Amino acid sequence: MQPLGFSTGALALSDFRSALEMLKDQKVNAVELSAIREPELIPLLRSLDELDLSRFSYISIHAPSQFSPQAEDWIFQELYDNRNNCWPIVVHPDTLKHDPDWRLLGSQLCIENMDKRKPVGRTVQELDLLFERFPAASFCFDIGHARQVDTSMIEAYQMLKKFGHRLRQVHVSEVNSRNKHDPLSFISIIDFQEVAHLIPPEVPIIIESIVSGDQISAEISRVRKALAVTSKPGGMSSVVS
Amino acid sequence: MTELQQALHYLDSEDTSIVVLGSLGRKEFTSGSDIDWNLLVDGIADPNHHALFLDAQQIINDRAPKGVGREGTFEAFVSSHDLIHKIGGEDDTNRNLTRRLLLLLESSPVGGRVAYQRVTKNILKRYLLDDRSFWRGTTVHRHHIPHFLLNDLARFWRTMAVDFAYKPRARSGKGWAIRNIKLRMSRKMLYVAGLLGCFRCHLDLSENERYAVFGTEDLRLSLVNWVTKDIFSNTPLDIVANFLLRHDHLHETALQLFTSYDQFLGMLSDSDVRHHLEELSEGSADADDHYRKARELSHNFRDALLKLFFDEASGLAKLTQLYGVF
Repeated sequence: MQPLGFSTGALALSDFRSALEMLKDQKVNAVELSAIREPELIPLLRSLDELDLSRFSYISIHAPSQFSPQAEDWIFQELYDNRNNCWPIVVHPDTLKHDPDWRLLGSQLCIENMDKRKPVGRTVQELDLLFERFPAASFCFDIGHARQVDTSMIEAYQMLKKFGHRLRQVHVSEVNSRNKHDPLSFISIIDFQEVAHLIPPEVPIIIESIVSGDQISAEISRVRKALAVTSKPGGMSSVVS
Repeated sequence: MTELQQALHYLDSEDTSIVVLGSLGRKEFTSGSDIDWNLLVDGIADPNHHALFLDAQQIINDRAPKGVGREGTFEAFVSSHDLIHKIGGEDDTNRNLTRRLLLLLESSPVGGRVAYQRVTKNILKRYLLDDRSFWRGTTVHRHHIPHFLLNDLARFWRTMAVDFAYKPRARSGKGWAIRNIKLRMSRKMLYVAGLLGCFRCHLDLSENERYAVFGTEDLRLSLVNWVTKDIFSNTPLDIVANFLLRHDHLHETALQLFTSYDQFLGMLSDSDVRHHLEELSEGSADADDHYRKARELSHNFRDALLKLFFDEASGLAKLTQLYGVF
């Protein structure tokens, strides 16, 4: 079964314990532990030994999405010190300033494509530059961000074609015009289906839609519908690659 | 263009693009050209778009030698929704048709490109993905021609020609000669580029590539991207030149076509000649030297186009007969 689960931040913001509790009775086997705001990182990392994560076949950590250049050093060090569990560390590429440090994480460094607010990492062209800087890094494909940047889904398609071999996990939500993560709508489901066949069945799906506890299973159903494979992938032409 | 980009830079946003059309969009701008432009909005409605529009208008008008046309097609807010959703049918007005096809054929964003690129891709996505015969191929010849797009381009070309007859009534005959020459040259060039762009969807691919691309559902978005970037993001002159450069036997045709077009642009860039043609009435045109010279250029241009589109070796003749006529 394809690993599928939630970001703890989507369910309970900084309260990862509550989020894990909300997932207790759900049919999920993947989780992203979110420290999206800088002050959330230390409490999360210091608690890892106490958390029962045994039911999850896939776990990742989301690094803070915004911090001052002065904080980069200690944030990197904390994440690096936790590298031995081999969990992917999802980062927003605009936070990466001191490249030699981050390169030490190898493929555990998981670069996410950005929404349209960010100045980097939004398109294939911009991601190309990032993977030149971090050649071993893996890819967190945020399908909601890609759709927000290009509603034709061509950019999403190109990303999966070009960086599919790096694909480590997928973020799913509907990113609205205020850049918030909503539950999937009818239209986003149709849009996502256009590229769903390019996501291999073994790649973990992390839902980022902000939902309450009683909406979790409905959102899982919507995500399964959006990413259900409806067509078979084929060979790539050199002319239209 | 660079001057405009620098001046408009602070107005960039992800949901809007300031788009120039006309001669500036075609990269054929001359000293007497006007600046046709629109504010393309592809995002949530925001009352502050009006302030953005007014700022852009002020900056552009300060740099424009003269005002835009009277039909209200340019210097306007344009919502992506009408361009993408209203293709054909009662709601696809003359103005909407014109804005949509000029966006594909002769436009360029000044500054922020994101909204512009999103909209052009979505328009072409509609034309191509909604066209079953494009993907399947025509029944007898297996030609992959985007009929939906081609028919709209033909409609647009005929609409421009019909409007040429309408405008003298609306404008009391003013500007007849210059509009006549533009119709014969630059307006026709738009249709030429559009038609050739449609034919290139078939001719630019080898038989094996067509088999692979059109036979694989997975590659549809890739093909839409290719048509957007490699064909329709170029200027009309580049679309035609790209084809001619790949066919050595059409060298003479290319020379005739581009020489006549170059001389036409030369006439427009001569402010005296341009002004003369702008003031020339229909009744005096036949006896006027400048007009006669321009008409002669247009005949050379037309003859070169006939040679091009009825060229057997390139495969264009067959496509022109089958899809360009009936």
